[in-house]
Amino acid sequence: MSFPLICQMSIRRISQRAKDEKTRKLLSRIIRVDQAGELGADRIYAGQIAVLGNTPVGPIIQEMKEQEQEHLETFNKLIVEKRVRPTALLPLWNIAGFALGAGTALLGKEGAMACTVAVESVIGEHYNSQIRDLMEDDPEKHKELIKKLSKFRDDELHHHDTGLEHDAEKAPMYDALSQVIKVGCIGAIWLSERI
Amino acid sequence: MSTSTGDRNPPQDTSSGPGGSASSQTSNGGYNTQRTGQGAQYSDELDNSEDLVSEVEEEEMPEETEEEYQTKQAVLKASLPFVHQYGWTKKAIVAGAESLGMPSMVHGMFPRGGAELVFYFYEESNKELESFLKQKVTELKEKDEKIKTGPFIHDAIETRLRMIIPYIDKWPQAMAIQTLPQNAVQSWTNLSRVVDDIWFYAGDKSNDFNWYTKRGSLAAVYKSTEIYLIQDRSEDYTDTWNFLENRLEDVVSAGHLARNLQETNTVLSEGAKGFCVMVSQVPTIPKPTEPNRNDK
Repeated sequence: MSFPLICQMSIRRISQRAKDEKTRKLLSRIIRVDQAGELGADRIYAGQIAVLGNTPVGPIIQEMKEQEQEHLETFNKLIVEKRVRPTALLPLWNIAGFALGAGTALLGKEGAMACTVAVESVIGEHYNSQIRDLMEDDPEKHKELIKKLSKFRDDELHHHDTGLEHDAEKAPMYDALSQVIKVGCIGAIWLSERI
Repeated sequence: MSTSTGDRNPPQDTSSGPGGSASSQTSNGGYNTQRTGQGAQYSDELDNSEDLVSEVEEEEMPEETEEEYQTKQAVLKASLPFVHQYGWTKKAIVAGAESLGMPSMVHGMFPRGGAELVFYFYEESNKELESFLKQKVTELKEKDEKIKTGPFIHDAIETRLRMIIPYIDKWPQAMAIQTLPQNAVQSWTNLSRVVDDIWFYAGDKSNDFNWYTKRGSLAAVYKSTEIYLIQDRSEDYTDTWNFLENRLEDVVSAGHLARNLQETNTVLSEGAKGFCVMVSQVPTIPKPTEPNRNDK
C-alpha cells in the first residue's frame, strides 16, 4: 500500500473494504475495455485482409493481425481469471470492426493504412492512461498487468509507425478520415467501459 | 461538537462494542465520534483535528466507515428473528436494535427501511452460497472428479432457495419490496451475484457473449423457481425441485437448439455461397457454336 493511500485511509477512515471495491472496479473496467479493443482491432485487420489480402501489403496486415490475436488471447484469459464481465457490445464491435476495416481497405492500401494509424494512435494513448491509473492505484499489486499493458502499447505504436511507413498520409481525405475514426474509437472505448 | 451526541451514546453504555463507539450520521452533518471520558485531556488537539476531519468529510460525503458498517450489520442480524412478527419493515429493525440494547433511533441509519433488511438477508445468503460452492469445488478436486455442470447447478440453486424457507411466510413481501423501482437496481445486482457465483464455481470459462446468455438463462430459472417455491405446498417442497429440474432441462435443450440452428446456418450459407460461385461462372461457359446453316 502506498504512503499517500495510507494517509488518505487514516484521515478519511475509508474502510479497506471500500478500497478493495474501488480497485476491483478499476481493474474490471480496464480489462473489459481492452478485450473489446483487441477484438475490434483484430476484426478491423480481418476486414482489411478480406479486401487487400492478395496485394503486396497483405502479409504486413496479416502480421499485425496475428499480434492483435495474441493480445486478444491474453485479455480473454484475464477476463476469466479476474472474473470480469465482458462488454455486452462484443457482437456489435465484431461487425463494426470488420465493416470499418473492409470499408477503409476499399479506399485502397492508403485508406487501410490511414485507418490503422488512426486506431492505433487512439489505442496507444488509451493504454498510457490506463497504465497511469494503475500506477496511481497500486503499482506493486498491478505490476504484472502494467508490464503487459506496456508491451501491448509498444506493439500498437509499432503498428502505428508501420501504417505511416506505408503511405497512410496519402489516403484520400486523410485528415477527415483520421478524425472520424478517432472519434469513433473514443466513443467505442467510452461505451465499452460502461456497458 | 462531540458533547451534543451525549444523549445518544451515554459513556457508560456497555452494550455492544460497535454500538458504543459507532459514529452515526447526525443531522448537523459530518461525523461526531464519542470522545467524552478518555479523550477529554486531549480535547484541544482533538477539536482541531476533528474540525479538519469533518471539513474534509462534509465536502466529499465519504463512504461509510468500517465501524458504521459493522454496527449496521449487527443490528440487521439481530432484526431477522423479528421478521416473522413484523415483516420486512422498520419495526423489525427497531425491535432488533432494541434487543441489542440500542435506542430505537438507530433505524435512522437505514433510510430504505425494510428493504435494507431484505438486502442484508439476500447478501448474507449469497455469502453462504459462495462458501458452499467453494467447499463443493474443493471436495470434488480432492476426489479428483470433474464437475458435472447440470447436477452442480441444480444443487446450487436448491441450496440457495432452501435458505429462503425459514422466512417463507414473509418472503412474498420481500419479493414485492425488491420489485419497487427504488430497489430494483440493488435487487438486480443481488440476483446477478447469485448466477455469476454459480456459473463461476461450475467452471464457466466463457469470455464472449455466452457469458450473458448463460447468466440470463440461469437468472430466469432461479426467479421462476423462487416464485414457484412460495406457493408450493408439497412435502419438503419436492414439487419445486422437480420444477427446477424441468426448467434446467429446458435451458439445456434451448442450448442444443441454438447449436443446431448455428450449424444449419453454416451449412445453408456455404450452400448459398457455392450457388453464387456457380452462377458467377455461368458467363464464362463458352456458348455452344451454332451450326452454320449455310454450310453443306
